[in-house]
Amino acid sequence: MTVMDMLRIMFNLSALYIVGGLILAGVYAKTSPIMYIKAKEEKEAALKQMMPEAETIEELGHWEIYRRHPGYFVGKKEGAEMGYIVEGFGKGYSSYINVLTAVDKDFTVQKINILHHAETPGLGDEIELDDFTDQYKGKSVEHLVVVKGFTDTDIQAITGATISSRAVTEAVREGVKTLIAKVSGESNEEESSEEVKHD
Amino acid sequence: MIKPRSNWELFKNGIFGENTIFRMAISLCPSIAVTSGLKSSFYLGFAVVFVQVMVNVTVSLLRKVIHPRIRIPIFMLIIAGWVSVIDMGMAAFVRDVYAKIGLYIQIIVAFASIFARAEVFAGKNKMVPSFFDGLGMGIGFLIALCIIGFFRELIGKGSLWGFQIIGTKPILFFIMPAGGFLAVGILMAFFNWIDIRFFGGKGASGV
Repeated sequence: MTVMDMLRIMFNLSALYIVGGLILAGVYAKTSPIMYIKAKEEKEAALKQMMPEAETIEELGHWEIYRRHPGYFVGKKEGAEMGYIVEGFGKGYSSYINVLTAVDKDFTVQKINILHHAETPGLGDEIELDDFTDQYKGKSVEHLVVVKGFTDTDIQAITGATISSRAVTEAVREGVKTLIAKVSGESNEEESSEEVKHD
Repeated sequence: MIKPRSNWELFKNGIFGENTIFRMAISLCPSIAVTSGLKSSFYLGFAVVFVQVMVNVTVSLLRKVIHPRIRIPIFMLIIAGWVSVIDMGMAAFVRDVYAKIGLYIQIIVAFASIFARAEVFAGKNKMVPSFFDGLGMGIGFLIALCIIGFFRELIGKGSLWGFQIIGTKPILFFIMPAGGFLAVGILMAFFNWIDIRFFGGKGASGV
């Protein structure tokens, strides 16, 4: 290899890096704002669907599960808090299941929505069906437990998809628990601060 | 020296003679991963057409500038660049599809079919023939994906493009990966049979 070859290779690679970099930067500059806006709109639409009566939905903060940081939100109507929405993850059979849960002010589940999963078609993906998700309605946190076989009070597992059923329930339960801890914890802190001094 | 082929012949060659999936049997991984629905098949096929054409054109334009010793890494860079472009474009404009096939768009970088055309054809030919070669190859791949996607979605989900068509419970096996292999195999055999029966060809193995 001559010096000329080396120079040519250097020139080839540098030119390609610069031109390629410029093209990619241009495309990124055009597409990333669209991506950002659309992702935001999708998220807002999903939240709105969870609590159609609410006028505004505000983000309160984030919590941690399986190294992910889903958010929790408060829904307000005419300035009064109507209920809360929490995003959660559960570890399913072949994926992490992403669930949105809406609760009222007493932390009773109103509605859940499976946002994303990659469970087995025909078995695990039945967690999306209304027959399964409707079970969560009206459940308080102590009844968010999966039971195999018939149950009126708890969550009945889907036959052949116990792990997926458990994962959804886990996502909902941990989300609601976090809400109880964070939301009521915050309002109690001020009230109970005096008691702490006595102790 | 092989006699030069017309642009139309080059285009046709990609669709019939050297169809990526049914004839060359390469890039089978995505052909099974994304073809559980017609819609995702179509969009991945579209992304491949774009990348294949752009890579072929870029490589043939640069073929005299590129130093032969580093042509492989340079091809990789060109492919990776165009894949990133289509990746960002699809993430912005067809988000619902991208959520499903985003991962496979990124691995277009490693598609044997694209690399092979850059090395075998575009690196040795002028821009216009390279363009038609890429277009033919890409569209051949797109058509193959759509045919597989069509049958798998129809049989496995009873729907097409997301719309329910058949009311009864479908054969779920066909939308699972194993069913994908079976579907590709059956279709490959079918096209070989057509070729042998009606066109006097030797099938994929006889090329």
